[in-house]
Amino acid sequence: MNFTRRNFLRIVGVTAGTGLVSATPARASTTDDDTLPGVLVDTTRCVGCRACEAACAEANDLPAPPDGDAVLKSPRDTSQTAFTVVNRTDAPGGGDRFGKKQCMHCLAPACASACPVRALDKKPTGPVTYDPSKCMGCRYCMVACPFDIPRYEYEALAPRVRKCTFCAPRQAKGLPPACAEVCPSGALTFGKRHVLLEEAKRRIYGTPEKFIHKVYGEHEAGGTSFLYISDVPFEKLGLQGGVPEKPYPELVSGALGAPPMVMTLWPPLLMGLYAFSKRREEAEKDAGEKEAHHG
Amino acid sequence: MASARTETLGQSSFFRDKILLGMSLGEYLRSLLTPFNLVAAVILAIGVPSLVYRFAAGLGASTNLSQAYPWGLWIGFDMMTGVVLAAGGFTIGASVQLLGLKDFHPIERPAILTAFIGYVMAVVGLLADLGRPWNIVMAIVNAGSASALFEIAWCVMCYTTVLLLEFTVPFFEWLGWKRIHAILKKSLLALTVLSVMFSTMHQSALGSLFLLAPTKLHPLWYTPFIFIFFFISAILAGISMVIVESALSHKVFAHRLEGQPHVDVDKLTIGLGKAGAIVAFAYFFLKLQGVVDGHAWGYLLTGYGALFLVETVGFVLVPSLLFAWGARHAKVKVIRWAGAMAVAGIVFNRLNVSVIAFNWQNPVRYVPSWMEVAVSLSLVTIGVLAFRWICNRMPILWEDPAFADRHED
Amino acid sequence: MTTHDFLGLYDAKVMEYLLALVYLLLFVPMWRFVQGRPQAAEAGADARAQAPAGATAHPLLGWFHVPDGVALHPGHAWARLDADGLVTVGIDEFAQKLVDPEQVRLPATGDVVRQSRPAFAVGDQVVTVPMLSPVDGTVVAVNGAAAHGAGALRDPYGAGWLFKVKVPEAARALKQLLDPAAARAFLESAAEGLSHQLQPALGRVLQDGGVPIHGIAQAVAGEAWAALARKHFLTDRSEP
Repeated sequence: MNFTRRNFLRIVGVTAGTGLVSATPARASTTDDDTLPGVLVDTTRCVGCRACEAACAEANDLPAPPDGDAVLKSPRDTSQTAFTVVNRTDAPGGGDRFGKKQCMHCLAPACASACPVRALDKKPTGPVTYDPSKCMGCRYCMVACPFDIPRYEYEALAPRVRKCTFCAPRQAKGLPPACAEVCPSGALTFGKRHVLLEEAKRRIYGTPEKFIHKVYGEHEAGGTSFLYISDVPFEKLGLQGGVPEKPYPELVSGALGAPPMVMTLWPPLLMGLYAFSKRREEAEKDAGEKEAHHG
Repeated sequence: MASARTETLGQSSFFRDKILLGMSLGEYLRSLLTPFNLVAAVILAIGVPSLVYRFAAGLGASTNLSQAYPWGLWIGFDMMTGVVLAAGGFTIGASVQLLGLKDFHPIERPAILTAFIGYVMAVVGLLADLGRPWNIVMAIVNAGSASALFEIAWCVMCYTTVLLLEFTVPFFEWLGWKRIHAILKKSLLALTVLSVMFSTMHQSALGSLFLLAPTKLHPLWYTPFIFIFFFISAILAGISMVIVESALSHKVFAHRLEGQPHVDVDKLTIGLGKAGAIVAFAYFFLKLQGVVDGHAWGYLLTGYGALFLVETVGFVLVPSLLFAWGARHAKVKVIRWAGAMAVAGIVFNRLNVSVIAFNWQNPVRYVPSWMEVAVSLSLVTIGVLAFRWICNRMPILWEDPAFADRHED
Repeated sequence: MTTHDFLGLYDAKVMEYLLALVYLLLFVPMWRFVQGRPQAAEAGADARAQAPAGATAHPLLGWFHVPDGVALHPGHAWARLDADGLVTVGIDEFAQKLVDPEQVRLPATGDVVRQSRPAFAVGDQVVTVPMLSPVDGTVVAVNGAAAHGAGALRDPYGAGWLFKVKVPEAARALKQLLDPAAARAFLESAAEGLSHQLQPALGRVLQDGGVPIHGIAQAVAGEAWAALARKHFLTDRSEP
């Protein structure tokens, strides 16, 4: 482990800080956490060999992806049995460009925030994992995901949600994800997200006329673990355009702050209405009786 | 005659009197042969096997749900519409118990019964739609508390319990269990406060669900305030449903109400019409505000814009004006039609948000399968049949003289 | 947020506030429309405050206003449960304007009246038209002033009361009659039938609050006014 003075001071600082605060609130977004892993996808280096697809299928016990380049002729999407796919588009100045599509493992995932049973969960180590034993199959994660990644096994009697796992079991053992490990051309680089982000920018600004000046995944949905750089528009590679930069859980947290306030405010408000209307009723009754005596 | 026979039958007299409405089994079964029951039987004959098939063969075989459309008719209609149309329970309950509008007491119990049956049917629809319904208890065990759906799950559970407790008041009157009835009757005020509280929370949370879909829900419907819109439209739905339900109930059950003190449903309907006019009027402007706030007015000139205008102008503003005119001129029939239109408008809104204007950029649209339609219709039919069964026997539309309040109404 | 989005905020905010303003301006007439004319509500409240409850209906409101607390019988007789437990009976403004009675034949104290049976009569010196009692019971008091002059009847809900009845289960009996809202609808449709036969000049006179001599029935049907009145009072098949 690289034990620099910076790291040491940081560890001391965090420990001291944690000691001061009795309870550290869990934060939905951890964009400033330097330990989170990421994968840099440099589409200018991808040769379309689809070894990543094959490695992924093997690592996740999925059927082997179709052989040959014929599949690259039309755009494909991930499915219940294919956690990652490579799509083809034209490169500027002739040739092919390829883009790998899979779960983005957002820093503040919409799917995990949507899941009412925490079957989809964001691990502090990075991957967004899925536990079918908790899943009740509401499919809200599919509604929430801005990248349309979760796939559902509608044909099964006990259907599961299927998506890239970021090879969480492999990462737990200190190994990189299968796709990144097998990539022969260096298109996929696994490492710390913040380091990869800086590498991505270094490449872009190193040859600024070549690349699009944007790292896809830096801000999308509040930031994702997979970062893309490209010299063709990202939508052409099958990546979702128009994804808001606000972390998705923040879209709901305001409205979800209301229920506890309703539970606090409604009883006094409603009982107040009740008391008021009861008093008015009694006042009317008294007035009526008085009239009866006088009339 | 009949009384002599009940004596000889002894134990089964409870069954005869309470269940068979005093008829013999043969008589009762023959009385069931009505055109309405025939239609209901046909619907159930298609729908119930479809439901069984869904559990036997899976969602893929029985529905048209897809990767692009994870939510379809069962969520959009059974779950969302079922819940919103049952909002009459808390609106009328609050009006009577909290605002002191005792005049509405005669329609309070049918409204609560409608709500209770509505929620039970919504839960059944939900269980049909869930991929792994046996894991629904996980919502209690694993707190996915960042999710609006978690909050909905809990609130629906709590609210259905509250509705059940409120329903047991006439239920125990029917059975004649005085002591437990008295206890429950005393807790009605607390139950009403809870029902308004839980309803506010989950009716609005059903709107909050779509906050996580800013790119998928059409801009004319997507707004950060969608949870407020859902709550206000729930109030409108409650008022409108009670107008429709009370009109139907008092017509259908007229023969059973002979000899009971006359309930001036027309007068109550006029009162509800006034409320409906104001709420719908405000809701219409709320929807416009949502569009302006989202900078989405440009979309009004598109196809989806036309859909939005039909929903908002045709099924919110028009009913509002009809309510107003009908209430002013005491035209009860106009109010009832306006109520039906408002109900249709709310159904339309929920379907728009969850299905029709959802994934609006996807050229491939979702259309429910015939089995989905059959199951949804069957759930509505079962709900109506349950409502009728209970109203024919229990003091819902009338007061049980043994339990009548001396000073309250 | 881009600069474009930010600048777009200003337009949107203007529209939002304008929309809210439009809504508030429209809300006031909307509320008043739904609740009914505010003068009617005030007249009703004043009426209750006065000891002999019953207000002179504002002439401009036509014959559709029935004061609070008054229940109307479809034969155009009204009944009101007073604080002393007795039911006061009178004719409504529609009947009063239709016939403009010069004399009234009332039952005597102690007489038994039956709901929806002829119990009293109104008319001129020559012809009277029977009217139905709105309640069952025994007559305990009769309004002398009304029996002898048309003047009192100009205030049909107040000084123009006709007789008081002791009614068993009075509250329940009154519930069977039309309440003010339903009465209004009933009277509107009754008046609609008449309005078709009105001459334009007559219509204007009525709008000003005036009443033609001998009532509207005479103005409309001439010699056959009694038959027209009987039709409205539901006594066209009864004995006089």
